[in-house]
Amino acid sequence: METLLTAEVVVTLLIAIATLVAIVARRARLPYTVSLVLVGLVIAVWRPVDIQVTPELILSTFVPPLIFEAAFQLDFRTLRTNLGSIVTLAVPGVLITALLVGGLVAAGTGLPFGVTVVFGALIAATDPVAVVSLFRALGAPKRLASAVEGESLFNDGTAIVVFRLALAAAVAGTFHPIGGLLNFGKVALGGLAIGLALGWLVARLMARIDDRLIETTLTTLLAYGAYLLAEYFHVSGVLAVVAAGLFSGNVGLAGASPTTKIMLYNLWHFLAFLANSLVFLLIGLAVDIPDLWANRGAIAVAVAAVLIGRAVAVYSLSWRPPGKGKIPFKWQHVLFWGGLRGAISLALALSLPATLPHREALQAMTFGVLLFTLLVQGTTIQFLLKRLGLVESSEHRLATEAQMGRLFASQAGLRRLEQLHRDGLLTDEMWAGLRADYNQATRQVVGKIRQLFHDHAELEREMLLQARREALLAERGALSDALRRGLISEATYDDLGTEIDNRLEALALIQSSAQDGWAAEREG
Amino acid sequence: MQPIVCATRGGEASRRTQERAAALAKERGASLVFLYVADCGFAGPLSPTLETAMNDELMRLGGSLVSIAKVRAQEQGVDAQVVVLCGEVRKSIQEYLRQVDAGMLVIGASRPAPEVETSHRGSVDAFADAIRQATGVEVVIVGPD
Repeated sequence: METLLTAEVVVTLLIAIATLVAIVARRARLPYTVSLVLVGLVIAVWRPVDIQVTPELILSTFVPPLIFEAAFQLDFRTLRTNLGSIVTLAVPGVLITALLVGGLVAAGTGLPFGVTVVFGALIAATDPVAVVSLFRALGAPKRLASAVEGESLFNDGTAIVVFRLALAAAVAGTFHPIGGLLNFGKVALGGLAIGLALGWLVARLMARIDDRLIETTLTTLLAYGAYLLAEYFHVSGVLAVVAAGLFSGNVGLAGASPTTKIMLYNLWHFLAFLANSLVFLLIGLAVDIPDLWANRGAIAVAVAAVLIGRAVAVYSLSWRPPGKGKIPFKWQHVLFWGGLRGAISLALALSLPATLPHREALQAMTFGVLLFTLLVQGTTIQFLLKRLGLVESSEHRLATEAQMGRLFASQAGLRRLEQLHRDGLLTDEMWAGLRADYNQATRQVVGKIRQLFHDHAELEREMLLQARREALLAERGALSDALRRGLISEATYDDLGTEIDNRLEALALIQSSAQDGWAAEREG
Repeated sequence: MQPIVCATRGGEASRRTQERAAALAKERGASLVFLYVADCGFAGPLSPTLETAMNDELMRLGGSLVSIAKVRAQEQGVDAQVVVLCGEVRKSIQEYLRQVDAGMLVIGASRPAPEVETSHRGSVDAFADAIRQATGVEVVIVGPD
């Protein structure tokens, strides 16, 4: 009981820290995940409580919601356009990275190749959370975000499978290529099959049940159930969750009501935020700085090897003739530099058995690479996106935002002056003079906004859509209020709420389609 | 007098086109219609309830955009009508021109990105030619500033 309470206190504290970091990072415009790692590092030095970061904690508690949410939100139509490139990067790409990184690290550090290839496999899984959230904030093309996210989802699964095969070979001291390949196929396909089967089952159940609470519970069961069942049968739990999430988000949701959809998106968004916050905090906590310093030479080799491995995999495998599905060259730079490492690499490094030779060196290299990708690549990727012109329209958006901000501030100032005048604290002449000045400033701001709308018509449409969305949300709020006050029945509330939710979903579709159209203009 | 139809996507970017249409209507003493065509089928197959909501929202969005044009025309002393349709853009414009026996269609060549300027203007010209040939209605293209 006492242990449970202690664990509860620790989790509550970690959530409180993560929330605080989120608030500060948002205000200071710092990458959230990077801030969490840094805070984790500080706590690790200070060590107020001893937190054991175990691979089971990461893999079976945090990974299922993280992977499920990413797959659930991924639009298969957008994913399909990049599917060829994604599968190429996620399967041969992981193998190339594992072998190349293993070879380079072996050559650079003198560690045996059989051991370094284990490191190559565990470090091949990319974690684009920091990058994808940045894409959203900067308004990068949706298809690019889908390519980065899609690759990460599938390469997590393949990297784990390759890691287990490499680890088994390293421990046994022998490797059978044919047997390894067959095992790879069995584990990967088995995981996908379990995920699809459970996804289908849950979709059938959801089609028969019209209760948002039960449907939401079913998806939670699906995320963890797919992982656990696949692991029980010794196939890929991660790929099972990927398949279940993709199936559920793209097929299973078809029969769900808009209200259920909104509830599901909100729940998974929240769970992923929570899991991500804790994972990145734990990454910081798991790092042993003196240990990193002692292995600085090996870490430098590992960082160089990982960058070379990623570059070779991305640039060689992304080559294909121009046409639909081709990853534009500019995007390849983003895929290369945006290949951050995170939760999966951490969990796999922590799961290395104590009997594995050079285990400490491999763990130190993993933490070193994690920190490098998060702190260096994670903080510089936005400059690359801007340099490549992939977020060029955000300048106009920022300019509009700035003018809107001025307008809000000016209106508030004028209201305050009017109140002072009404209270008799401002003479008629002063009020008239100040009002004229404020009106003049407002006219100038409005003129600038009009000019921005004239030059970039999409901004005006976006604003109209946003305004309509705000109005619908206000209508939804008023309905809840009316229900609470007993003015309308639950049945009426459900009917009218569903109508509004339908409209909100329609607006989201219109907005996303418009953004795709505008993004397509600058993709080439 | 046959009405003048101004097919517009609305908003600040179309202001010049709308003002030109209002000026032409005033000059010729013709009635003016601002026509907005929403491309309702862009999202592919949807559930019936979502499709209804989507079409309605697109029509409302279009209605809001062309209502701004109506206010602008009023400022120029022209009382314009607003019509919002749902469907394929060129076909809907052609059908509407025939339906109201329009005398003129005014469309805008919005400001394109510099690298696509030539082809963009070309596509607007081709669009206008196709409508002219199909309906026999005079088409005026208002260029960007």
